[in-house]
This record gives sequence, C-alpha cells and structure tokens, in this order.
Amino acid sequence: MFRLNLKIALRNLWKNKTSSFINVIGLAIGLAACLMLLLYVTYEWNFDKQAKEAANVYTTMTNIEGDNRKISGTFEGSVTAFGPAIKAALPEVMYTARMDYGKENLIANGTNAFKCKSKFAETDIFKMYDYEFIQGSAKTALNNPNSILLTESTAKLLFGSTDVLNKVVRFKDKYDLNITAVIRDQAENSSNRFDYLMPWSFYESIDESAKSINWGNYSYITLFRLKENADLAAVNQKIMAVIKNNTRNDFQTQALFPLSKLHLYGKFEDGKSIGGAIEQIYLFVGLAFGILLIACINFMNMATAKSEKRAKEVGIKKTIGANRTSLIIQFLTESMVLTFIAVVIAIALLELSLPAFNHLLNINLGISYFNAASWTGILAIVLATGLIAGSYPAFYLSSFNPVQTLKRKIGSKGQWSVSLRQVLVVGQFCFAIILIVATLVIYRQIQYIKNRPVGFDINALVEIPQDGQLKGKYELFKNELLQSGAVSAMFQSSVSLSHHGSNFMDVAWEGMTKPTNTVLFNQVATTYDFIKTNGIKLTDGRDFSKNFASDSVGVLVSASAVKVFGYKNAVGKTMSAFGDKYHIIGVFDDYVWDSPYKSNNPMVVFFDPGRTGYITMRLNETNSLQSNIETITKITKGINPAFPVEVKFLNNLYLEKYNAEKTLGILSNLFGGLAIFVSCLGLFGLVAYSAEQRTKEFGVRKVLGASVANLMQLLSLSFLKMIAVAIVIAIPVSYYAMGKWLIKFEFHTDISWWIMPVAAVGTLLMALITVSFQAYKTAKANPVDALKYE
Amino acid sequence: MIQLTNIEKYYANKGVKNYVLRLVTTTINQGEFVSIMGPSGAGKSTLLNIIGMLEEPTYGTYHFMGEDVTSLSERKRIELYRNHIGFVFQAYHLIDEMTVYENIEAPLLYKKVGSAERASRIADLLDRFNIVAKKDLFPNQLSGGQQQLVGIARALAAQPSIILADEPTGNLQSAQAEEIMSLFKKLNEEEGITIIQVTHSEKNAQYGNRILHIADGVVKEDVAVLS
Repeated sequence: MFRLNLKIALRNLWKNKTSSFINVIGLAIGLAACLMLLLYVTYEWNFDKQAKEAANVYTTMTNIEGDNRKISGTFEGSVTAFGPAIKAALPEVMYTARMDYGKENLIANGTNAFKCKSKFAETDIFKMYDYEFIQGSAKTALNNPNSILLTESTAKLLFGSTDVLNKVVRFKDKYDLNITAVIRDQAENSSNRFDYLMPWSFYESIDESAKSINWGNYSYITLFRLKENADLAAVNQKIMAVIKNNTRNDFQTQALFPLSKLHLYGKFEDGKSIGGAIEQIYLFVGLAFGILLIACINFMNMATAKSEKRAKEVGIKKTIGANRTSLIIQFLTESMVLTFIAVVIAIALLELSLPAFNHLLNINLGISYFNAASWTGILAIVLATGLIAGSYPAFYLSSFNPVQTLKRKIGSKGQWSVSLRQVLVVGQFCFAIILIVATLVIYRQIQYIKNRPVGFDINALVEIPQDGQLKGKYELFKNELLQSGAVSAMFQSSVSLSHHGSNFMDVAWEGMTKPTNTVLFNQVATTYDFIKTNGIKLTDGRDFSKNFASDSVGVLVSASAVKVFGYKNAVGKTMSAFGDKYHIIGVFDDYVWDSPYKSNNPMVVFFDPGRTGYITMRLNETNSLQSNIETITKITKGINPAFPVEVKFLNNLYLEKYNAEKTLGILSNLFGGLAIFVSCLGLFGLVAYSAEQRTKEFGVRKVLGASVANLMQLLSLSFLKMIAVAIVIAIPVSYYAMGKWLIKFEFHTDISWWIMPVAAVGTLLMALITVSFQAYKTAKANPVDALKYE
Repeated sequence: MIQLTNIEKYYANKGVKNYVLRLVTTTINQGEFVSIMGPSGAGKSTLLNIIGMLEEPTYGTYHFMGEDVTSLSERKRIELYRNHIGFVFQAYHLIDEMTVYENIEAPLLYKKVGSAERASRIADLLDRFNIVAKKDLFPNQLSGGQQQLVGIARALAAQPSIILADEPTGNLQSAQAEEIMSLFKKLNEEEGITIIQVTHSEKNAQYGNRILHIADGVVKEDVAVLS
C-alpha cells in the first residue's frame, strides 16, 4: 500500500508539473529560509554553552550606583580583589579565574608579526572551558609566567604548523614567551575568545594595576565555577556580605550572573536582566516559522484547488473499500514526498546562499552534516511541515461523500472551507505587508541616524593605535608627519575618537548641591591640537596650547557637562576630578561617539601626554588619499618597525556602528521579500483553483457575450478584496509595532505618511499582476472546452 | 439477500417534499440478475444508490444479507464494500493515476489480501478479460469498452457476492455494450454473482432474469424475463 501510494504521489507530481513546481519551490524557499534563520538562532542560542560545565560558570557584573542608591547601570566587569576574596569566603565556589577583556596586541615569530587578540587569565580557566589541546595539556599550559598558549590558527599564522611546542614568540615586541600549548580554535559564539592566552602571573609582572589587589578598578573579568545546583540568589547575598566587609559600603557593587546567559539576556535595568538579544531571537524564530507557514498554506490551498479532481478519486476509492484512514495516509504520503523533495532543494539553496548570508551578517554559519542533532532537527521540521501542509487537504478531501463526489456536486457545501481559505490568504498577506512596512521603517531609521550630523568632519580623519615606539617617540613621529605634508594636524588620546569606554564619577564642581556626583562622566586624555585636528565645534574658550604652561591643569568640557555643572560662563571656572582641581579652558559641542542612537555622557578632556592609546590625524586633502596613506605607512614603519601599520578611517568606524540595525534591516528585507514571493505563488495557485471551479460558468458567460475584460474583472476582484482586507488589518498592526520599535531609540525618525500607502499599493500591485496572469489565461480560453463536459 | 421495505426518499425544499422514491418494497435473492428500468428522473439511480448504501433512505428499512443496514456506520459500510459489493459505473470511474493493474489491485490492497494471492487473482482477471497486454497502460490510453472491462475486473477482484452497475454500457457503442452484457450474464450464471443494473435499454434488460419498472419513484411493474 505504502509503495503504491508513493508511486502514485510521484506520478501525480509529475503529471501536474505547474502546481508541483509552485508547491515544491514555495516549500523549498520556505524551508530554506526557515533553516537559515534557525541556523542563525542556534548559533546565537548556543553562545557560551559549548563547555561541559557551561551551566555552572558565572561571570561578575558591576552595578553602578546612581541617585538614591538605585542601580543606574550594569556591565560585565570586576575588580582584582573580588575573585580571591569570594573564593576564600564561599564554599559554593569551586574555581575562579580573573581575566582581562582582551586586546589586539602584537605577537611575533621573528619578523613574522601580527596583531591578534590576546588575553590573560588565571589557570582555573581550564576548569571552565573544555579547550581541546593539540599540543601540551591544561596541567602544564600556563604554570610558568613566561609561557603562552596559542590557538591552532594563530600557530599556523605564525609558524605555518601546530608543531610549535617550546618555540619562542615575542609579545608586544618586548617579551619572549615560551609556547607551552596549542588548542583548537574556540567556537565563534563564545564571549571569551582569544588568539593567544597568557598567564595572569605574567600580566601582574607587566601591569601594575593588575598586580595591585584593590576594590576600586573595575577593569577585569572574573569568572567563577560554582558547585552544581548552587543557589545563585544565596551566593549573591553572601557576596554582598563579603563586599561590605571589605569596602565598608552596603551597596552591592558586584554580583554573579550566568555566563551562558550574558549574550542573550545582557540588557540590565536596576541590576536585573530584562532581556536583550533574546528578543531578536524570538523575532527570528517567529519569522522562520511564519515563512514556512506561508509555504504550508500555499500547499493546502493548492491541494484543495485540485479537490474537484481528487474528490472523484476519493469517491471511487471509498466504493472499492478504502476507509478514511487509508485516504488520509495517502494524502499525507503525498505531502511528505513533496516536502522531502522540497527539503533537498532547500538544503541546496541554503548551501548556495549561506556564503552570501554569512558575508552580509559577518558571521560564519554552516550546516554540520555529520551531526545527528541537526539531522534530527531537519527531519522533525520536514515531518511537521508535511503534516501541517498535508493535514488540511487530507482531512478535508477524505471526508467527501462518495455519491456527491461522483455526481460532481461538491462546492455547494464548501462554504466553510472557502472562508477558511480566505482567512489563510488574508493572514499570509498581512504577514507580508507587515514585513514590507518593517523593512521600510528600519531602512528609514538607519538613514536618519546616518544623516544625523556627527558633530565634526569625519571624512579626512584616520586613526592608528599608539603602539610600541609611537608612545615614546610621539613628538618625533608628529614632526615627521607634519613635515611630509600628508597630515595637516594630529593628536594623541587615551581612547579612540569614535569610542570612549572610560567612565568615571569622581567629579565635583563649584556650587554642587549633592554630597557626591551620581552622573557618569566620560574622560579623554590628550595633548595639543585636539580640537584643531578633529574640528569639533568649540563654543567657548580655546584648545590646549603650548603658550599656556598652566594647561596641564586645564580641561575641555562638553556642553552637556556644563549643563550638569550648571555653569553660566564655564570658561575660567573650575571642577575637580579624582581629588585634583582643574580649570575649564574651553567648551565644545557634544558630538557622536559610541552609540549614534542615544545621547552620550558628559565628557571631560584632560591634558596628559602620559596616557597614550590612539593617534588621530587629519589628512592633507590637497594630496591624493593614496599618497597620504603611503606616506603615513612609511613614516610609521620607520619609527615603529616591529608593529604592522593599521590605518583606520573614521568614517568606516562610524559605519560599523549601524551593524546591529543593518542586520535587522537585511533580514527583514530578505525574508520580507521571500514572504511576498511565496505568498504570490500561493495566490497564483488559488486563482488557478477559482478559474478551474468556474470554467463552466466562464464558458457560459462567454457564449452569452462577456468580454475578456469582464471575465478578468470577475475573477480578480474577489482576490483583490482579500488583499484589501489584509491591508486594512496589517497597516495598524505594523504602525503600532514599528512605533514601538522606534521608541527604543533616543534619536528616531517618524513613520512617514507615505510608507503605508507604498506598502499597500506595492502589495496590491504584486497581487494584481499575479492574479491577472491567470485570469487572462482563463478568460481567453475557448468556451467549447469548458462546455463539452457532461 | 436484499430486502427493501417501504423505502422512501424525498428532498425537503421550502417545506415542500419532492419525492424521489415512494414506498418501494421488494426482495432480491442471491443469484438474481435484476435490471431497473424507467424514464429519466424516475428514481432508478437513487434506488441503486440506496441498495449500494451510497445514500440513505429518508424512511423505510433495508436488510442486506439479513442485517439491518438502513443507517450503517461508515466503518461497517466499508467492511461490506470490501467483502460483498462491487460497483460498476457508467463513467467507469477508474483512477487516472493508476495503471490497469493497479486499478484492479486497489480493492485487494484495501482488503489486505496477501501479495501472492493478489498477484494470482489479478493475473486470473486480466487473463479472463483478455487485457493482459494492457496491464501497464493508464485508463486514458484505453477505449471506453476496455475501460469498462477494467472497471468490471476491479469490481470482481474482491470476489463480491453482488455487483451494482449504474448504466454500465451507457457510454459504450453497441458492440462493446453487448460484450459487457454477455459478460454480466456469464458471471451471473456461472459464478452465481447477484447483479443489479440500472439501464435504459430494453435489449440490455433482456440479459437479466428480472426487470423492475420504476416511474415517478414507484415500482410500477416487477416482471421476470423469459429466456
């Protein structure tokens, strides 16, 4: 029986090539989209969950104290004293490891030098991550302060092989380290990735602040592995007691948070996780199954479209002894066969489009063909899809009464099924329209933010990291560059112009009413030519200048900082930070850095040649860009030969800030387009159904003198009505949803009045084209063919 | 074998009853070959459908092989179809997607007949009806007469005790019609299969041994055919 069903299913597919094609392609697209999104979701979902002990690993969060002892912000970070103190005090803690955040640092094998991501960590990190050792072992890897662990790709990059045990690499062009281990590259969806790992003991020997055990410098990550089933709330309570003991402060500055949740639930409010990327994951899962559902609905509609033909078969089979179950099984077999063909095509489509998709989103997804879990997943999706797609035709068709079907009398009682079909179509198009509106709004929002003035001219600005010799020989470097004519002005600063991650709160000002400041300030340390180079608008006062020796205690402050201080004429007034008093010599307008979507913290710019980090240069625009960059590269290489030269353009750095929203835009664009395409395929099928049902009616009408236009109108109108209903439902829904989305951004565009009509007319037009194609075909048909039945 | 008592069938339309059958009472015994005749709209097909349990009477009782089947559950009805009743239709109603062989095989599959038994029965039927060479063709590749032969072979495959035929030769030319009718006669006489057919043709009715004349839903005449 099954074999016969299978054979007949394949024969049916072959016989109705058009509808099979529509079905298979629709389902394949739906499945491919679904699988692709699910791959992405799996990637995100499995963030930091690879290790066996991942569920017991926690990271330390820092709470920032705001007004009225409220928590005004939370970030991943800790102090050096925290790990050891907690481990000593809490029996639940099995292991703890302090780490730095990781940084691009120079690593070299002889002259073969690269900037790769370095990390320092205590050895207990091996108890939290299951690194796969190719060379060496966890026991011996980081015992010696001058040892280093490389990942496979770093070893290959530096040496061309992984057989590098006991060879020596040079770190930051200063320290020779002995390779004690090589591990396989870590999963990409891991928060604490590195290219090479060095022992904490080495970090302590080269960095004073890492060595000092303190409760004030939140510049490190501290991971903990707790005993299985440890009660996090109780642990955090005990941590509070330890903090109080050590700092005499009863504000909980530090708390543990599951590391595996950090990526997806990383948004905190009042110290508690309130979601984060998980919202996007839900959105994508919804999108994935939404598109698949659209394809399934198509299948149902197409199947019922052929019900006239199939009904006869059902009738005959019932009279020769088929029961309902066997018919249901037959119809489900058909949909399963179709789904299997579709999934094969879907996987091919997926393979073809994954590279482009990865490129768009800048990730690296792939199907793991040798993973039982992924096959089980695919199989489950196929079975579910086949079942959903086949269920309606199977249960609907198999219920036909043999006499009625054999007398060709169905249709009259199909009132209910027709309305269900209409509901399905309206639902499909609602989904499609909402996606179109979402795409348009997201696109407009990105454009809006992009067009928002940054506050200075970023186009001719470049920056390079201030590594190695560039720190000590900055003045020489500056002179050479200015003389070469490639650069018109430059400055060094502690942080990059586009990103300042250096917060502080220890600020006081004249006439301050509160006992302590609760506003988070940002600090930049720089030397001369800060304003001259970047061109930020100075509203009052002046830039740092060599003519004033007192400028070493001068500061520039942002307009928002002046607002916090409450100064009328800020220049000449004073403020103090970290206990020292500073004179305000200039006020500049706020400009965009870090996130372009929200207004930034008030900023104070100090004068300090000792705090190096980045060098920002304004290119001389009279020369060609290429020659400027060549000159800079040559001079940099001359002064700082050990390091590769990395010239970054400020405008590119600003573009990168739109990535998260760009991803959302791309995804909704792509899948919105697919949803509409698949919906239109389905609409095409439905019109075919309607045309088939009304062949006779059309024949009669034609004989009576109806024109082609009359008939097309007759056939199209009912479908366009459905689209109209979908528009009426979808517009307010999408207006509401997108309004909610926009509200999230401090700076946001409005939903323009024209977006809704564009989405509505676009959809209507697309549907009209789809419908009229089939309508024309039907209306042109020879009435004799329609009437010669019976 | 078949016992109909006061069978009525009407459709109520806006309070008006449109009678299709009125008080039909008759008995058909095992081994009979009955032809139901009458003008268009007389209720012939409805009567056959009621006998075939494709329609339910509005009123009256129907006993099939001693069992009251007036209103039967679908499961039981299908049980009867599988074991006792074979249908032959005017429009053949073969399944277009199946070959001749598969069409004949289908009822056996539903009846869950073993594969060896199935093969031998089908081979036997193909042989008897001289359609061995056509077994891999699809219905639309056959002439009307050939299709009807397949239809009858399919009806016989499950070895029913009764065949219900609704104008089995209505779409056929006379030569083919004669072939089909003699086949029915042979089946009736040699294998004792009960046959009930609806027909317009007096000539076809002569192949049977009893004629029920129906007009306006009422049995007007019940005559035996003298051969």
